[in-house]
Parts: sequence; C-alpha cells; structure tokens
Amino acid sequence: MNLPSGDRSSPGACSRPDETPSGTVFDIQKFSIHDGPGIRTTVFLKGCPLRCLWCHNPESQDSLPEISLIASKCVGCGQCVQACPLNNHVMGAGGERIFHRARCRRCGACAENCYAGAIEVIGRTMSVEEVIADVVKDRAFYETSGGGMTLSGGEPMAQPAFSGALLRQAKDAGLHCVMETCGFAAYNLYATLLPDVDLFLFDLKDTDPARHRENTGVALEPIVENLRRLDTAGCRIWLRCPIIPGINAVETHLAGIASLAGPLTHVERITLLPYHPFGQSKYARLSIPDPMLPCRAEPTDHDMDRWRNYVANRTTIPVDVS
Amino acid sequence: MQAAAMKAATRHPRQARWAHQGFGVATPFAGTVRLSRATRDLATRYLSGEIGRAVQPTAFAVDPAWLATAPTPNRHYAEAVRLIAAQAPLRILPGERLVGAATLREAAQHLTPATPFRSISHTTLGFEKPLRIGYAGLRAQIAARLARGGLDVAGVDLLESMTICLDAATHWHARHVAALERLVAEARGDERRNYEQVLTALRPVPEQPPQTFREALQALWMLWDFQRLCGNWSGIGRIDKMLGPFLARDLATGAITLDEARELLAHFWIKGCEWTNGQGHQMSEGPGSGDAQFYQNIVLAGVDEQGRPVANAVTDLVLEVVEELHISDFPIAVRIGAATPERILRRIAAIQRLGGGIIAVYNEDRIPRTLTAFGYPLEEARDFANDGCWEILIPGKTSFGYQPFDVLLLLQEVLGLSATEPVARHEKVECGEWRTHSPQPGMTERFPDFEALYAAFRDRLAAKVEELTTTVPFLDLPCPLLSLLVDDCIERGRAYTQGGPRYTVRSPHAGGLADVVNSLLVIRRLVYEAHEFTLERLVGILQSDWEDQEPLRLRIQRDFDFYGNDSAEVDALMQRVFNDFTKLVGAVRERNGALRPAGISTFGREVSAYRPHRTATAAGNRKGAILAANFSPSPGTDKRGPTAVIRSHCAVDFGRLPCGTVLDLKILPQSVKGEAGLQALMGLMRSFVQLGGIFMQTDVVDNDLLRDAQAHPEKYPNLSVRISGWSARFATLSKNWQDMIINRTEHG
Ligand code: SF4
Ligand code: SF4
Repeated sequence: MNLPSGDRSSPGACSRPDETPSGTVFDIQKFSIHDGPGIRTTVFLKGCPLRCLWCHNPESQDSLPEISLIASKCVGCGQCVQACPLNNHVMGAGGERIFHRARCRRCGACAENCYAGAIEVIGRTMSVEEVIADVVKDRAFYETSGGGMTLSGGEPMAQPAFSGALLRQAKDAGLHCVMETCGFAAYNLYATLLPDVDLFLFDLKDTDPARHRENTGVALEPIVENLRRLDTAGCRIWLRCPIIPGINAVETHLAGIASLAGPLTHVERITLLPYHPFGQSKYARLSIPDPMLPCRAEPTDHDMDRWRNYVANRTTIPVDVS
Repeated sequence: MQAAAMKAATRHPRQARWAHQGFGVATPFAGTVRLSRATRDLATRYLSGEIGRAVQPTAFAVDPAWLATAPTPNRHYAEAVRLIAAQAPLRILPGERLVGAATLREAAQHLTPATPFRSISHTTLGFEKPLRIGYAGLRAQIAARLARGGLDVAGVDLLESMTICLDAATHWHARHVAALERLVAEARGDERRNYEQVLTALRPVPEQPPQTFREALQALWMLWDFQRLCGNWSGIGRIDKMLGPFLARDLATGAITLDEARELLAHFWIKGCEWTNGQGHQMSEGPGSGDAQFYQNIVLAGVDEQGRPVANAVTDLVLEVVEELHISDFPIAVRIGAATPERILRRIAAIQRLGGGIIAVYNEDRIPRTLTAFGYPLEEARDFANDGCWEILIPGKTSFGYQPFDVLLLLQEVLGLSATEPVARHEKVECGEWRTHSPQPGMTERFPDFEALYAAFRDRLAAKVEELTTTVPFLDLPCPLLSLLVDDCIERGRAYTQGGPRYTVRSPHAGGLADVVNSLLVIRRLVYEAHEFTLERLVGILQSDWEDQEPLRLRIQRDFDFYGNDSAEVDALMQRVFNDFTKLVGAVRERNGALRPAGISTFGREVSAYRPHRTATAAGNRKGAILAANFSPSPGTDKRGPTAVIRSHCAVDFGRLPCGTVLDLKILPQSVKGEAGLQALMGLMRSFVQLGGIFMQTDVVDNDLLRDAQAHPEKYPNLSVRISGWSARFATLSKNWQDMIINRTEHG
C-alpha cells in the first residue's frame, strides 16, 4: 500500500513550517452549486493518487502543471514553433501539427505565445492568500445561500499542507468549508483538518475490493477505514458514488453502498452521480489514452431512478441523483 | 432530470397536449396544472397568433368636411376616439371571462387609428384613481375644473376634448353591454351562463367604481385596453396593489374562491396576447425585435405609499398563472428586498428556471431611497413602477422619455475613429446625432498620458450631457385620452406632452459603458504603461479593423480581465466613468420643465442603431461585433460566472442612477437543476439586493436550444427569451436579434 503521508506532500507544494504553503490549482470555479450546500466557490487542486478509468477531469491527475493542446483551436500561426526552446512543436510539410510531448518540460513558453488559446497550461502555483482572496469575494453569495468554499480536485489530500492552510484561512474568514475527497490518504492527515471542515463529500467509487483496485488503481480498504474513522470523529459526510455502466452499475455494489453507509451515523445523504463522457475530449488534449474507450454508455435518467430506488430501499439515509 | 421531466410530460395526457401546443420552455414545466382545460385552450389560440393576425386596418375615417373646419388637434383626436368607440369591431369570444378588445391594426403599430398622429408609449398610466372613482368620477372632476375657471384657451380645449374621449369610452362600454345582452339571449347552457357572468361584471364598470374582484379586473382591462385600442401602449403597473384589496374582501365573504380568481387573472394574461401574431413586431414590419413588445409591464410586491408590504393573494396568483401558461407578453418585475418572503422568491426562481426571462427583480431596499434622494416625496418614491420596460418612474404622474446615446461613439470621436459608412438610423425615439471625424494626426502629442486622453473623453461626455439636458421636452402631439389618466393634467389643463403631468422626465441614457471601460483599460495598459505602441498606432490598427494584427487582437482578448470579472482594476475604471457620467447629469436635476435622472441602457441598440457606427475597439472587437447590452458585460468577456458579473455590476453606487439600469444574466438550465438550483437562483437575487443592484433579469436558457430554435422555428413557437425590459418569442426575432441573444455569455 502506498498512501501519501504527511512528509510526502505534493511536488507542487512547498511546505516549510515558517511560511504558508503554495499549491497547484487547476481551476477556481465560482457559482458552483452541486459541490455542497448553497452557492460555492470550488477550488480544484491538481494531483490525485487514483486513476479511475472514468475520470472526467484527467487534467487533475498529474500533480504538476501540464500542457493542454486543443487541436481544433489551432490557427496554424506557428508562434509555438518559434517559442519552444526544445523544438517540440513542429509544423509538418503537409500542414499537420506535431507536438513532441515526451520531450516537453512544461515551461509554458508555447502557451504564452499561443494567442488563439489552443495551447494552455493547466494548473498554476498559487499561494494560499491568492486563493482565499479570490474565494472571499463571493461572501455575499455564500451568506444569502448557505454556501462557502469547496476544496476538490484531483484530491485535496494530495497537497495536504496547502489544503490545510486553505481550510484554516477560509475558516478564519468565516466561510463554510467543504472538502471533497477520494478517501485515499493517511488518516492522520485528515485528523489535522477536522476542525476546519464543515462537511466532507466523500467519494466512494466501488464497494468490491478487486474491482476497486482494478479500476482506480488503489485498494478499497484504507478508503473504507478512513470513512469509518471520519464518521466516528463526528464529521458530517455526504457520500458521492459515481455509477458507471459496465463497471460498477451492479446491484451488489448498490446494495454495498447501503450496507456500508447504514451503520455510519454521520452520513447525511448519498448522491449517485451518473457517468458522463464529459472528460472524453480532455484526454486528447493531454495526449492521454482514454481508458474508457470504447465503452462510453451514459446511464439514462430511468436507470438512475431505478438505481436510486434500489439504494434508497436499503437505507434510511436520503439518496439522490445529481 | 430535464429529460426525465420531458418524458413524463409526454406520458401524461394533459401535459402531452400542452407540449404539442408549442408552449416552448427551456425547462419543461413540471408544476401543478391548476387552470381549466378551456382556459389553457384559449391561451393556445391566442399564442398561436390566430387572434392577432385577424386584427384588421381601420376601415373608417374622420369626415373630411368636418376636418376642413380646422378643429384643434385635440378636437381632431377626440373625434377619432369617438369614431373608434362607435365603429371599431368588437371581439367577444365564447368562453372568455373578460371583454374588450383592441381590434385596430394601427393601434398595434404605435399609431392613433383614424388620425395622422403617433401614439404614446413608455409610461404607466394611473389606473388606481379610475378604479376608485370610475369614469363618472373623472367626468365630475373635469366638470369641476372647468367650472372653477382660470384655464386658458388650450386648457379648456383639452378638458373638453377629454370629455369627448370619456364619452367615447362610455359608448365603447355600452356597445359591449348591448352585444352581450344579445349573446345571452341567443346562447344556451354553459355558454349562456358565461356570457351572463361576463355581462354582470361588466355592466357597472368602469363607469362606476368596481365593488368586486371580478368587476375590478374587468374595469382594469377596459381602462387599459381602450387606451390600447386608440394606440397608447401603457404599462399596467402594480396590479397586486390595485386588485389585492378587492380579492381579499371577496375571499373573506366567500364571494369567490382562489381557483376562480386564478382563472379570471389567466384570462387577463391571455387577452394581453391579442396582438401576438407569431410573425414579428407591429404586424407589418416582419421579424424584428419580436411580436410581444408592447410595454405592458407588471410590477409586483414592494410596499405601498405608507410603507406597508403589498404582496397579497393576487401576487401569488399572477405568479402561478405565469408559471403555468408561460406567457411572456406581460413582462413582470417583482420588487424584492431583504424582507421579501421566501415563498415569493421561490416562485420567482421556479419561473426563471422555466426560461423566457419573464420575471425580473427590482431592489426594493434601494430604489425608494434613491428616488427620495433625487427629490421625490417618500410616498411617491414608495409607489415606483416603470415605463413599460424597467426605467423607474412614478406611475400615473409621469410623462416619460429617455435619451439614449452611445458613450463608445464618444470615445471613438475623441480617438478620431469613424465607421467608414454611416448608415441611416431607424429609431423610435430621439437619439443624438452621429458625427464622423477623420483620424487626427498628432494624437500621441495631444494625449501624452492617459489622464490627458481621459480628460478629453470626459469633456466630450460633458458636452453630450449638456446637449441632452437642454432639450425642451414638450411636444405638439394631441393626447387627451391618455392625459385623462395622468395626474395633474386635468388640474393644470395641460396634456401629457405639454407639461400636464406632475413630473415630466427626460432621462439621458448612456450605452456602451462596458466597452468604453474595456477599451480604456487596454489603452492605459498597452499604450501608456507597457508602451507597446503609440496611441496613433493603435488608432490606425482600429481604423483598419485589426488588419494583420490578429495575434495582438487575440492576445488582448485572452489576457485582459474585462468588466464583469470582479476585477478591482477594471471595476475602479468603471466607477470613474460611471461617477463622471452621473455627476454630469446629476448637476442638472431639472431643466426646461423636465427632471433629468440618469439612466444606463442600450435596449438592443448594440444590435441595431449603434452597431453600424461603431469601429473596431481597443478591447479586441472587430467592427460590427455585437457589444455589451445595457449595463452588462460585453459578450464573451465574462469568464468567471454570474457571481463575478453581479459583483462587478454592483461595484458602482446606484444611488446616483435614479432612472435605473439593468443587468442581464443568462444561465444554463443544467446549472440550476433541482432544489440546489432553485436555492442558487434565490441566492443570486438576495445577493444582488444586498450588494445594491437595481434591476436584474435572469434568462435560463441553453444556446444549443436557441440554435436549434433558430434552425427550426416551427418547433418552438412560444419559446421566449429576455431582450431588455421585455421578452420576445424567439421565433419572431430577426436573425440579428437572435444572434445577440445567443452571443450573450451563458453561465453555468
Ligand atoms: S501558437 Fe497556437 S495557434 Fe499558433 S500554431 Fe501554435 S498551437 Fe496553433
Ligand atoms: S511547454 Fe515549454 S518545453 Fe513544452 S512544448 Fe511548450 S515551450 Fe516547449
């Protein structure tokens, strides 16, 4: 088992004790309304220990900034060819556009010069203060809607010092704080955050250990263990369960969700998230092979309803579909 | 869950029929169906445009021999009104619960039928008084004023013409009574019962003050629609304030049930679509700004003159009717504040989510204060409504006009930029003259720093404001019928167009502010701070419409945080321009008999009047681009979502803008799904109020859906979108206007 622990914080993070850390953020999305209660600002942190086949945010997996290329936006101006010190961008004689990604050092020079917006750097290093200054701007909206800040990713626990400092400062600013987590981190890291987290959105990908390992790349047991310990610690939890046809959309898993959550006392709701092929195009931009291809079936609303009922019939916890 | 709801709808027989009848909404209505089948069928009939298309041109004329006697314009007008009342066709449909119809095509074309005169819009008349005293009371008031004497010749002429108009209105009423009596005699069964009920409610009103809710509703319809028959497009105003007390009394005595009252109100809404033709505006011009733009606005909730909350059973019923029928012809503005009940906010959010932008909100906690600071007495400030779009005024007491001008054009002038081919304007309202200048050499020397450039811009703005605030507001347009319903026309013996109203308002309305500020931001940073190029060079680039400068243009669009992104730098620049504009206008509170409250709007001129005159902008726009609407961000520049837009918008002090402005928000349906979505919409409204905004219209709509509707209009005959102060059926808009709607950034 290879859990990230306190002394293995993300490579993008700098966590000397005497200064607030900085971290790698790939998006700060305002007016998020499905990441916890009310109107929220969701801070997406880069880096994730899991490799879920169905991941719709592949740009969140790698902990470093990376280069995204949207070929359809390229106007063929050649600025990137000029800009790259390593000649990684090549305009072929036949007009085709080649990017030698393996040689790329992610310096961002090409992106800076790509005015058409075809090349972009995903993820940038930000200080805690920078992030919080942006997040607190929407205070009026949090106050009128019961919202606040949500940390998501990627996996916030992949940058524990940064996440901890963000939560602490947000709390100090009086904001309601939600953290979404895949549950795969050393529990002692969670323990230090607990006072600053009002609600966990806890992702449960599968309840079958073999399938979990096969499809996410990591073991299920430590995740379940963390879920139980957070529950014991009295943390409010919303379980979020992606439902992927052909993978975990099976009754044993649905029943497994109910029986796992049943004995827990602080799970307030279970949300089933239907698989969407949103991430599809993002894989190509990063030149990552799409692990789900070619099976890309979206569950119908009818399926989701049926599955929701299946879970709801086996637990007293409210079950919804997002 | 959108798809699920749609499937459910097709399974449910009642709703399936609904869907086929073309009640196109962005998100299918999944609420309770409360109205009767007959009422919904009637709605379908009106919305199909069948009724509107049947409205014929006027087939009678004022006697030329009489005209040869050279009557005064007021008498000429009054004679036409007399003829209209006597000869315009009646339209009484079986099953309709209200009667009265505006059956002359010229009226829908903003003309006074049977006259050479234009008619009047952009005002909300005073319907409260005639509901209190009836035509009879008005007649008595005129007689008393004439008897008291002291009127000049023009005043006597006006009041006598008013009396002729009143008599005509009474005749129009009598024709309906007679026709209904015949119908009662001929009809049988349910139909007969319905005619009897209509007749009973109609008989005393509006000659006498109404006693019941039904009489009051019928009276209001007659009062309003007779004005429309004669070409005057008035807003309705505060319908819940006017009708709520009648309904409360009837409910208390058991004279009516809420269900019955809802049906009646639904008929008011349905009949309000009598000019809808499904083709385009004004029945003859083809598609333009839509077929539903007759300024028939409704204002709900808020407080009354004494500061007591107005919201009552009528408020809820109106919202229920609109939610169910999705009729956009009466654009609704709800006055909301910190004290607004959750129930009302929820209902507004639910209707907003259906799309169409039918419901907008005013900031109740801000506007009355702004109006008293401007100088209105508190009681009147509390009674505010609008001119039929959203421009704030005191209803029943105001002659309103606004003076739109393009601030971006002023900046262009200062820079020596001009669109190469000036195009003739087609405008309904007065508008500043266009000037064209040729590029001036030596600009770099003349404007050595940003402050020098800004000072020249402010001077140009000051000259424009001076020009607009010096206009004389009075017109030689006879309007005795309209003047009947505006205080203090009778008392002063002066018409609506001649200073009769308590307030004559001419409001300078600045447009293009977002684009001005974006341009100034780029100029300041690239010319004066980074010294990337000289001002002259930049002007050359803009004059050539970015020729060979695509990388620069794209870089500007990519790298700048423009207005609407909650950026302190650009918001500060906006404050500066806003403060200069409002200070210049604020210095002239009243001049030449008119109040001069500042406003900010474009009302679609970013698509029509302004666009041909605009060159490329320093903010990376090419010539001909559709730029910012009203006081909203420029399309495509607001990258950080609706909360950032609201924050930027509210960064200025709206206490300086007594005529108001509007923020247009477009939100994707999928981003406001479910209970969380409702809560989010409510949160946006509450925050908007808390942050000090004035008026916000939220359109929940999906661009994919709009593109589909553009390609297949037949699939979406009743799909409504918010334009600016009014909604329009998308299918009846011209391509230009459709593109503008699609171009607005969607959030979600
Ligand atoms: S700079 Fe961007 S637009 Fe130009 S060739 Fe490179 S990728 Fe394409
Ligand atoms: S990020 Fe740097 S190294 Fe990589 S392709 Fe672009 S310019 Fe070359």
